[in-house]
Amino acid sequence: MTLLVISLIVFVGVRMIPGDPARVLAGTDADAAGLEEIREKYGLNEPWPVQYGRWLALAVRGDLGESIRTRQPVRQTVAAKLPITIELACLALLVAIGIAIPAGILAAVRRNTLWDVLASGVSLCGVSVPNFWLGIMLILLVSVRLGWLPASGFVPIADDPLGNVKRMLMPALVLGAGLAAVLMRQTRNAMIEVLSADYVRTARAKGLAQPAVVLRHALRNGLIPVVTILGLQMGALMSGAVVTEQIFVIPGFGRLIVEAVFTRDYPVVQGVVLITASAYVLINLLVDVSYTVLNPRIRIRGTADGA
Amino acid sequence: MAREATLPLALAGDAAARRPGVVRRAWLVARRRPAAAAGAAVVLLYVGMALGAPWIAPFDPVRTDWSQIRKAPSRAHPFGTDDLGRDGFSRVVWGARISMQAGVFSILLAIVIGVPIGLVAGYYRGGLDQLIMRLTDAWLAFPFLILAIGLVTILGPSLTNATIAIGLGATPTYIRLTRGLVLATSAEDYVQSARALGAGDVRLMGRHILPNIVSAIVVQATVAIPTAIIAEAVLSFLGLGVQPPAPSWGTMLNTAQQFLEQAPWMAYWPGLAIFVLALSFNLAGDGLRDVLDPRG
Repeated sequence: MTLLVISLIVFVGVRMIPGDPARVLAGTDADAAGLEEIREKYGLNEPWPVQYGRWLALAVRGDLGESIRTRQPVRQTVAAKLPITIELACLALLVAIGIAIPAGILAAVRRNTLWDVLASGVSLCGVSVPNFWLGIMLILLVSVRLGWLPASGFVPIADDPLGNVKRMLMPALVLGAGLAAVLMRQTRNAMIEVLSADYVRTARAKGLAQPAVVLRHALRNGLIPVVTILGLQMGALMSGAVVTEQIFVIPGFGRLIVEAVFTRDYPVVQGVVLITASAYVLINLLVDVSYTVLNPRIRIRGTADGA
Repeated sequence: MAREATLPLALAGDAAARRPGVVRRAWLVARRRPAAAAGAAVVLLYVGMALGAPWIAPFDPVRTDWSQIRKAPSRAHPFGTDDLGRDGFSRVVWGARISMQAGVFSILLAIVIGVPIGLVAGYYRGGLDQLIMRLTDAWLAFPFLILAIGLVTILGPSLTNATIAIGLGATPTYIRLTRGLVLATSAEDYVQSARALGAGDVRLMGRHILPNIVSAIVVQATVAIPTAIIAEAVLSFLGLGVQPPAPSWGTMLNTAQQFLEQAPWMAYWPGLAIFVLALSFNLAGDGLRDVLDPRG
């Protein structure tokens, strides 16, 4: 249901972009007959509902049409770009979780100490800093001044694993930083709440050591709200990827959409936005499912109004 | 506040004596939380900078000077000059105006659209509520920037359109927030008794429910405005927001990235301006939560 509404919004939205794709395709010196021929070929002459119906029927089968600009199937274009962005997102996620969860636990356990203040302060800065500026400053420091890492570009991991990691390190850090800040706050709050719960006190009373109490008893329940936030933050991660790829000149999904928008490549914009929105819905569905893994007491009632 | 206004005078005086007023509470919070007070002060400083830009900026922010291209910071140009010889400091000062406009107006738009929709959904419930919430879910499924990029492409890049795009992106959050608050407030005794006394729907919503959810909405705005300010900078950075030569911090950073090696100062100040403003807003927002919500 949600996906259907999304597809309709995407379709109508893209059609509202001013500018004639046939003209872009034909170039400036095309005559009226040439334009007409192109419109005929890509079905741009037919009424909107017909165009939508046909597009949706094909999209469900995985056929997203072909790029008006490059004449390549959208699926193929996306398939080529997607792994790059997924790699970036996974690395960023790794960075974010690697920083946020330990820092959040530390801040909660040593509540109101210097550690807590420090972690919260850094987190507040992380939320406030525009990540593209962070990226620019990192390039300035690490690449321009110190010359440690290349400033931009991309090498496929299969060709040159070390070169790939070198070029992905800064983007992943930049993309992960904002997420880490949000997650750290959430982890801290959740852990503080859980640590004051009765069963944690019982575990302590049994004489369990602090690490066992924190990691085995508290963390598992403390993670539930963190996972929710993580799911909701996927949208921010996707948005962030667009900007990060732009700064570090990574030829991924994000650059694809910006390029497609500037060249009015309807099918590509449609395909990319549809895939992004669907992915977001699916990820959040997975988040819901993961609750039952983290906490078997939660069973989702009534699955009728799912995605 | 609105609740006090409906009380008889004597009672209102009593209530004021028992409950410290907003100003007094603000002072107490400011003393207890200096970081929040400092944040609020810096935000006010930016507001002053935005309003007083014509008097504060020593140069015209869009005037080019071919003899001053990419000059390092100096006494005459404390933030240096850019690739067209424009004064960096003047452009940062004028940029405050654009950022503030985008941040405040986009969130106002989100409130103006989102709050009534959420109010109706939460108040009437039923099928209408279901429909609105499903649409809101679909709306939320678009990552913020993807939605904004799409909208700006449809509307064309400009400050106004970027503001609209950011506002529409923030709207679903307000619909959800308002709906949740209305659901909770509708169950309160005073709303039930007003209903029993024969108050109509509009009166119940406007007089009894809305005043009690205003503070939560304002607190949400202090969180949302810095996000909106950063969003404007991002859109301008991508070339989808404010168009050159207007001095937007995002546009300035876009230009600066091309000259990182020759003129790094071009990248320092606009970004720092965004960072400090967003940080101050977030600090002030934490304090405001304490002032407006004495229970929390």
